[in-house]
Amino acid sequence: MDLIIRKSWIILAIFALALIPYFITVKYYLHLSILALMWVITAQGQNLIQGYTGYVSIVQAGFMGIGAYTTALLGVHFDLPVWLTITLAPIITAVFAVATGYPSLRVKGHYFAIVTLAFNLVIFIVLMNWHDLTQGEAGITGIPKPGGKESIFNWRDRVTYYYFVLIISVVMTFLAAILIKSRIGKILIAIRQNEDLVGAIGISAWKYKLFAFVTSAFYAGLAGALYAHYQSFINPEIFGVAQSLDAILAVIVGGSGTIIGPFIGAFFVVFLPEYLRFADSFRLIIYGLVLVLATIFMPRGIVGVANSVRAYIARR
Amino acid sequence: MVELLQQIINGAAIGGVYVLIALGLTTVFGILGIAHFAHGSVSMFGGYLTFFLVVQWGLPLLAAIACSLVVGFLLGMLIEILAYRPVRHASPINAFIVALGLTMMVEGLNLEFFGHEQVVIPTNLDRIFSLAGVTITELRLYVILSAAFLILAMTLFVEKTKTGQAIRAVAENRDAAILMGVNVSTIPLIVFAISTALGVCAGVMVGSLFAIAPGIGENLVVKGFAVLILGGLGSIPGAIVGGLVLGITEALAAGFLSSAYKDVIAFVVMILVLLFRPQGLMGKH
Repeated sequence: MDLIIRKSWIILAIFALALIPYFITVKYYLHLSILALMWVITAQGQNLIQGYTGYVSIVQAGFMGIGAYTTALLGVHFDLPVWLTITLAPIITAVFAVATGYPSLRVKGHYFAIVTLAFNLVIFIVLMNWHDLTQGEAGITGIPKPGGKESIFNWRDRVTYYYFVLIISVVMTFLAAILIKSRIGKILIAIRQNEDLVGAIGISAWKYKLFAFVTSAFYAGLAGALYAHYQSFINPEIFGVAQSLDAILAVIVGGSGTIIGPFIGAFFVVFLPEYLRFADSFRLIIYGLVLVLATIFMPRGIVGVANSVRAYIARR
Repeated sequence: MVELLQQIINGAAIGGVYVLIALGLTTVFGILGIAHFAHGSVSMFGGYLTFFLVVQWGLPLLAAIACSLVVGFLLGMLIEILAYRPVRHASPINAFIVALGLTMMVEGLNLEFFGHEQVVIPTNLDRIFSLAGVTITELRLYVILSAAFLILAMTLFVEKTKTGQAIRAVAENRDAAILMGVNVSTIPLIVFAISTALGVCAGVMVGSLFAIAPGIGENLVVKGFAVLILGGLGSIPGAIVGGLVLGITEALAAGFLSSAYKDVIAFVVMILVLLFRPQGLMGKH
């Protein structure tokens, strides 16, 4: 019975998300919702490595950049169809992650966080300075929309793109949930709780950590590719360390180590800075303050607070 | 050869700045296990404040630096009490998130108070000395000398004084330190005050050698952490060696390879060190 209630909640939530375009009158909010759904994908990846495995990675936006530039360059230079480049982008990002994950996963805790942060800086500097390939700060324009010329959907319409990204983000969330329920997911959680013990019972933890890291990169690469085709324009600006921090925030604020948390957190990190626009230059200060207070007073995120409230009501 | 020596001297100046930043980070990490990510932005606040006092209030440079040091001292304590103390018993990830929030706040305050123009602290130290073809500006010389002095003073403080002993005791074994009568709630305060003051000195050096602008602080703190990784987390000799290695590598990379990619080369060196010595150059296994 409990299971049925939980399942119906999920269906209800997806249904509500599907109805959003009918209730949004301001086009700009639809745009933000699309961005938020892309951030859901990145945050789900971040949650695998940060929330479940317990390794804070600060390179997610860099990986989004690799995904975005891969799909854009393949599309612009080789004239490959969009569905193919969107599929290739996360795979190539994952290959990069194998190469970067191998050295960085030799170290733990803060070391790992800082090494991944250095990788993000390296990616950013290369995107900025390798003019022949990336056009530097000017960026790449004219990235084709999905669907080609004789598509049955109107891809220039934001509503179409909203549903496209919604479906992908829901599918990726379900895949993450399945992964976590599997044996691999149990080992990842065990690594977070006691890595030495995992090693002691004969499981080589580094393979599983690398798997979580590479999967998180796959998610980020996919989100980056979706972003590139949505905006038709990319430059290195949004693939910097600040955006990687947003991915971490999405996980923490939503509820680290839960499946629904990153979904809520992603909407939070996209919409909150917009709502703080009225505060103008105080925006950064307020955003930082909210973050500090949220971590001190609700360390288990929005999902954690919701669970406590539910438990409180159930007790009464 | 002259060119090589020249680049090494240039690297020593920026390396000295990195060492000062890294010393603060490494003592904080040793005591509290916190990656104090806001350190760079706080240091830049010190640089901005010095600039403001010199240019707006017309204070002499040394007086302005002294004022900024006092403010840095108090600010460090305030940060410890308000931001890090409440998350002391939470998981390290939470302390890191607090550090990120703090970084945003300090960056925001810097923007609010000092604007987004880049500023250079005026020093009027522009005599140039040269020896056997290697030149050094007066300013750079003073930066190297005062960094060396501060590093020496910090090392002596930690090694020789009673407070320094207490700091090392808490870093080594917190519970044993409590049993030996060390007051573990004042030690973090002292560590934060001193670290922030060292950071302010680094901020003043960056502001007079190069320039202060939004975002510089974050770049600096990342370099500081790279130094810790190179040298070994929590190790003071490691911070000194790591800072000089990073600074000189960068200067050589900028001089002989490419100035756009100098940071990339510095990080590659860091990652190589990590592959062969995961505990850092001076770290114990």
